[in-house]
Amino acid sequence: MSDSSADAQDPQSSSKLSRRWFLRGAGGVAAGSAFAGGLAQQAEAARARSLAAAPEVLEGDIEFELSINGQRMKLRCEPRTTLLNALRNHCEPPLTGTKQVCDRGNCGACTVHVDGRPANACLMLAVDLRGREVRTIEGLGAPGALNPLQESFWKHDAQMCGFCTPGFVMSIQACLEKQPNASLEQIKRACSGNICRCGTYPAVFEAALAVAKGGAR
Amino acid sequence: MSTQDKPKKKKVKVTRNENGHPVEVEIEVDDVDGPSWGPRAGHTLVNHDVPRVDGPVKVSGRAPYPHDIRLPGMLHARVLCARIPAGSVRLDLESARKTPGVEVVLDLEVKEIRWLGQPVAAVAATTPEKAADGLRALAAQFQAAGFAVTPEQALAPNAPQVTRRGNKGKESENGDAEAVKAALAAAAGTARAEYSLPVQHHASLETHGVVVDYSGGDEARIYASTQSTFGISEDAAEPLGLKASQIETISEYMGGGFGAKFGLGIEGLIACRLAKLAKRPVHLLLTRKDEFLAAGNRSGSRVVMEGGIAADGKLTALRAEIERHGGIGGGSHARQPYVYSVEKVHTKSYPVHTNTDGSRAMRAPGHPQASFAIESLIDELCYAANLDLLEVRKKNLANPTYARQLERVAREIGWYEHPHRTQPGRMDQRECIGIGFGVSTWGGGGGESCEVDVRIERDGSVTSSVGTQDLGTGTRTYVASIVAEEFGLGMDGVTARIGSSRLGNANASGGSTTVASLAPAVKNAAWKARMKFAEHLAPLLGTQKELLRFEKGELVDQQSGKRIPFAKACAMLPNEGLQARGTWVADLAGNGIQGAQAAKVRVDPLTGRVEVLKMVCVQNCGLPINRLTLRSQIFGGMVQALSYALLEERIMEPSLGLQINPNFEDYKLAGSLEIGEIVAIIDDEDTREQAIGVSEATIVPGHSAIANAVANACGARVRHLPLTPDKVLAALGKV
Repeated sequence: MSDSSADAQDPQSSSKLSRRWFLRGAGGVAAGSAFAGGLAQQAEAARARSLAAAPEVLEGDIEFELSINGQRMKLRCEPRTTLLNALRNHCEPPLTGTKQVCDRGNCGACTVHVDGRPANACLMLAVDLRGREVRTIEGLGAPGALNPLQESFWKHDAQMCGFCTPGFVMSIQACLEKQPNASLEQIKRACSGNICRCGTYPAVFEAALAVAKGGAR
Repeated sequence: MSTQDKPKKKKVKVTRNENGHPVEVEIEVDDVDGPSWGPRAGHTLVNHDVPRVDGPVKVSGRAPYPHDIRLPGMLHARVLCARIPAGSVRLDLESARKTPGVEVVLDLEVKEIRWLGQPVAAVAATTPEKAADGLRALAAQFQAAGFAVTPEQALAPNAPQVTRRGNKGKESENGDAEAVKAALAAAAGTARAEYSLPVQHHASLETHGVVVDYSGGDEARIYASTQSTFGISEDAAEPLGLKASQIETISEYMGGGFGAKFGLGIEGLIACRLAKLAKRPVHLLLTRKDEFLAAGNRSGSRVVMEGGIAADGKLTALRAEIERHGGIGGGSHARQPYVYSVEKVHTKSYPVHTNTDGSRAMRAPGHPQASFAIESLIDELCYAANLDLLEVRKKNLANPTYARQLERVAREIGWYEHPHRTQPGRMDQRECIGIGFGVSTWGGGGGESCEVDVRIERDGSVTSSVGTQDLGTGTRTYVASIVAEEFGLGMDGVTARIGSSRLGNANASGGSTTVASLAPAVKNAAWKARMKFAEHLAPLLGTQKELLRFEKGELVDQQSGKRIPFAKACAMLPNEGLQARGTWVADLAGNGIQGAQAAKVRVDPLTGRVEVLKMVCVQNCGLPINRLTLRSQIFGGMVQALSYALLEERIMEPSLGLQINPNFEDYKLAGSLEIGEIVAIIDDEDTREQAIGVSEATIVPGHSAIANAVANACGARVRHLPLTPDKVLAALGKV
């Protein structure tokens, strides 16, 4: 999704599909969640780390620290706890802006940024995020101090019930950070792993394009 | 219409001081006999684009949905849903109780499982992970009995009995079969076909559930993801052993309902029982899989239609046999020929029951099903008689609004330049592009139920309160905006408070009845508050109350021309401030709306893939209370219909009795890549100065228009939704 589209697609030659781009795009569509590329890289990095260090056996409640929205956060939970559940149930205060909707990487409602790249928080274990920088919707802006994309979502009414909204904002924000001039096509790809049941998509595209500087209006 | 022609204004003679000389002038002032919306040109917030007041908390992840409620000592609950469609279950309650972290285990003592997904037990534990352990420890052993999960199974000879009423329910019949037979024989063109629609899921992103804040004692709070704030406390009283008055229901935010979230529900009842046992708060929101199995659906249907058309395009005959697939429920299907006029009609309708979850109301219950069958048949008749698809529609719709709306969508979609207006295109042409149409109706009226309180403090702060819920439609926003407009304030001048059963009463949000019930009550409360305000201040300012006007944040005395900032005027109120309660005013609400939609698609004849290039909707709704959120509602209806057309379908495995796709991986919803150009046009030629609900109407015709567009593009008539590539290819094979 955002990652793969952002760095694999040259806006000047978007009609020319490279094999790599096709595989990533196709994988994303087939999985209904498009950051196959990002996940593969994360898995690779995790594998490299585990090879370098001695095996670590974790059980019971463990204590560890994560860096979330630029702050050190102490957590105490079981190692099987996903990042999503850790954010929602084990942070103080709870970070519930990241939503639990499908809990299996199908809907994008739990999209967060890990080291600047979008990722599904339901598909990662919190304990694996030690040493990584996690950013959640709460880290983007707050009422009274919304970031430009959030402000644009608000003004274009790119939300109805609002339950999917944090995930959409996070996916598109990651895209715009890499591609400030993102086109409609790139924005659509960036949020192709997110589902909105209320059907807000047209307003989401409007809101994102209003922020993208050079995108087709 | 009448209120706009005669805006409620009256002339008053006043004396003005002009250049030191008193001059008597006649000016127009608001009529004080009662509230009215008009005139339309006079609005400052109503009928404008007003960004929703809860937008900032929603886009920043700060809006506390029931899923997000976290309380000290709160337990996380999980429900065990039957993994078989019929039979019985044995549970190992002891093992579950011994599981670390599990605090309470609840056996629902289900003797006979009657449908797949029926809740049979529940556990509450300190974390969601431990609750899942508890469910595994229950080691449920299901003993399956004979079942029917598809209509075909249910209607087979010797099928196991699904309900005591039998597998085929009571048949209702309307019309004259013989007259239809004669009319069919005399018709210039006829068509006969079977159409079917799958069971669709509401698929609200926030699943059903509640957080019960109860720790013993005689008070409880229930945070509910509900369409009816006032539909919870009474049902929760018994399982909590409290009186309804001791329970406050809170529904500040909720993540989608679409008709499936009324009442406490079995999941809410379970949460209350668990909280009562544990004397601790319980968080129970269904998992996605349980939501698919046990939280309702839109019923499927199978309809045999036979119709006749005269050479001049008049629809002369229709025979319809309607089978409704509502699981253990009855299902719904609007009457045929839906909104069309057909001379002779004969219909039969009956449910076929299966051992699956009962259908519930879903956005315009029964209408999308009826729309698909009739709109498809009309196109088939047009092709049979070589008639224009648009003209035949206009000819057979009695309400002239439709003709106007259809012409508008036709222009927008490019119909008049389209080559296939009386016959479909062929698949060997360079590009297979087709256009289809559909129309819709809904009531959207309101009634007496809401009690809105407007409070003004002496510091100038204004609050508008009512217990209602906001499903994402923008309810909270107009609870504030209507009051702000009345007092000439901006949106920052009024705070809306909603979502609590301790606030003024409000109706459930179903059937698009919220705005027509609530907006008039808000307007009435605002108007009463303004009258009270003027009455109090007029003598203090030495003027008449009719001459006081609120505009641009100021109180204006039209006699002296004196302007006082609103907050300063409020400081002149009595110590206790000012309060007014408003109830429903019939004149401010209307009923009955129409919409027309068109879709343009591209069909790839090699792969069968359908691409929706453009959809257009023209929708009326009386007075638009907020054009921005109204536009979103129209988008939503169109996108949900697109999703229904192309992707959505509950798939049952008949031999194992399972749902194959109880997740968002296999139950597909439209995503960003499916969305083409979506054009939502508010029909401003509807000049009724009345609030009318719009949500349902917008979802009715989109999938019908898309299916018709596919057939129009290349002759591939797919009569069974969704329009998956395999079905499109199969239909192309028959062209």
